[in-house]
Amino acid sequence: MNRVNGDAVLGAAIVVASVLAVLVWVPRDTGSAIVEVVRGSMRIGDALAPTIGFSLLGIAGLILMIEARATGSTLRLDRFDLVFIAGVGGIFLCAMLLMRWSGPLAAALFSDESYRNLRGTLPWKYVGFIIGGGFMIGTLISLVDRRLTARVYLLGFVVALCLALVYDLPFGSLLLPPNGDV
Amino acid sequence: MDYVLLGIQSVFSNTAMFSVFGVGIPSCLVTLFLGLLTGIAVGATPGLAGPTAMAVSLPILISVFGVRPDALLPVFGFLIGVMKGATVGGAVPAILFNVPGTPDAIMTTLDGHPMAKRGMPRRALRIAHFSSVTGDTASDIVLFVCAPFLAIMVERFLDLPEKTALIILSLTFISSVMGSSVGKGLIAVALGVLAATVATGQTFHPRLTLGIDGLQNGFPMVSAVLGALILGEIFVTLNDIWRGERQASTVQSSHGDVADGLQKGDLRRIMPHIARSSVIGTLIGALPGVGSTLAATLGYTVGRGIHKRRKRPEDPDFGEGAPEGIAATEAANSAVSGANLIPVLSLGIPGNAAAVFLILAADSIGGFNPGPAVFNFTRPQINPELVVAFGIFTLMALGNLLNWTIGGAFMRAMSVMSRIPIRLLLPIVLMVTLTAIYIQDTRMAALWITFGFGILGFFFRRLDIPVLPFVIAFILAGTLENTARQAFSATGGDPFFLFRSATSVIFLLMAVAIIVFLGRRKGHGAAATHPN
Repeated sequence: MNRVNGDAVLGAAIVVASVLAVLVWVPRDTGSAIVEVVRGSMRIGDALAPTIGFSLLGIAGLILMIEARATGSTLRLDRFDLVFIAGVGGIFLCAMLLMRWSGPLAAALFSDESYRNLRGTLPWKYVGFIIGGGFMIGTLISLVDRRLTARVYLLGFVVALCLALVYDLPFGSLLLPPNGDV
Repeated sequence: MDYVLLGIQSVFSNTAMFSVFGVGIPSCLVTLFLGLLTGIAVGATPGLAGPTAMAVSLPILISVFGVRPDALLPVFGFLIGVMKGATVGGAVPAILFNVPGTPDAIMTTLDGHPMAKRGMPRRALRIAHFSSVTGDTASDIVLFVCAPFLAIMVERFLDLPEKTALIILSLTFISSVMGSSVGKGLIAVALGVLAATVATGQTFHPRLTLGIDGLQNGFPMVSAVLGALILGEIFVTLNDIWRGERQASTVQSSHGDVADGLQKGDLRRIMPHIARSSVIGTLIGALPGVGSTLAATLGYTVGRGIHKRRKRPEDPDFGEGAPEGIAATEAANSAVSGANLIPVLSLGIPGNAAAVFLILAADSIGGFNPGPAVFNFTRPQINPELVVAFGIFTLMALGNLLNWTIGGAFMRAMSVMSRIPIRLLLPIVLMVTLTAIYIQDTRMAALWITFGFGILGFFFRRLDIPVLPFVIAFILAGTLENTARQAFSATGGDPFFLFRSATSVIFLLMAVAIIVFLGRRKGHGAAATHPN
């Protein structure tokens, strides 16, 4: 993307999105109008704040377009950023899935009880947290290092275990992820 | 005066955490001490900063102390300790390794590192510590005097329409002074307001949720703030390392083991620079949204001009290891921290990330709503919020005392933190932050929302949109809407309620003037930097 036009394109996109939001989204997705009459008295409705918000966004987009003409673009976004953040998103998705389902899967394989009944007991309550958390730490470090090593995964699992102990041992009432959801 | 004494008493009569020789040590003193040590450690760690430590520690503190009103001071004690420690700790890697521990320590590298390379790292660290704590203390004194006075003036002279206009003026100011462009600052504010409106409102229909069940309760403040501020920064830093634009590990120390320290006449030489930079830092800090980096730059620039005219021929210039350069920078950036709390305590408007976390703590625990109503000197009934406010002032004074006495020694010991590789540290901080959020909001959805705001924070940084105006707008949007609703109802549904009083009209005109004036200035500045 041309550096000079980057901010202008961003500004224009914001203006278009704001106009669409004010005309289409806000009226359809709010429970009352900009102003409403309740028992004979005028009140500010739920649509006012979003309308002002999107209007301000549109004005900001216009100002950005004007500024871009004078100053050029200060955007630093390129395809490498998108590739990286997509990678981070993929790692986070896998980590959350591991965190959520490792415990129930382990319980189904190695216990007669359901995970819901076991989630307050050792070692079950740590399984998802350590596997999902260790995976996230290890894979993120590997992404940055651009190579996979067992050491960083070991570091991740140890850190996750330490974290579980730090939170769980002194504060018995706290729930580690994912035990509040299952 | 009674309230001042009650505030001091509330700190020292707080629940004892343990006892030494039969004397109970109040929990808020313990947390203040631990917070200070934590703050110095994170400040000394490149890639980490005070807000990260605050974000990670807040849920733990709430778990330890609960959500009772008597938990406020211990929690605030830790956060204030972190705030004070981080301002001091940032100078350590800047001086020893030429790597600023915090963004506002960039200018410290200019003279601190050359002095360390000349074999005087301890002298540089001592000057930085002395200047930093002096600036911080001076700024706190201004806070103690100005915040109650300003709050009383606001309560006495401003009604609901004027308060609405004041919040609009504050948001406009923050959006205009932060970042490279007024347009991008306003985008951040608008998106913050819009994010805060999701699923809130007064009707049964949760607005702007697109029918998504997960959004029926809106965005939790903790997830939004930590996601945008902390996760966004983590992603950007990891991305920079991945792209090879940032060193993955820290540089090695270039100083030897030369024993050194403050020299005779050092304090006399640096005191005028400390005094001047303290005034600059305090003035800048009192304005919401204006960061300590600007204060450090301004303090350094002004100091350099004066030093050039007055220095002796044998004295080093700024940039060559001048003690005056370290003092001018450190006093200015530290003087911001106390004054930054003036708008949050007197107006309820957070001006920096530390103030955001104080508001988050107050919001999570309850019983203290920062704003002008806090400084309501009621008699004979005691206003508990005012007692907490004076308790905060007491904690800040004690924090300075600790910083004066043990801060220097701990700061010099923390050079080891600069050697921790960021590439290993940041994924761990990410994990700790996510865990801390889940403990407060036990839903996997909260983690996804946090991650979503982290992605938003990443794109903000890459698109050069400032993040802090987004966070401040997110926090203030609810107050702004409620104040506007009340003002509208109180004026009998007058659509022009914002234009009926001279004060609110002046506030709104100032808001427009700030956009026009700063927009033109930034436009000219950027045009000079990026000629087409």
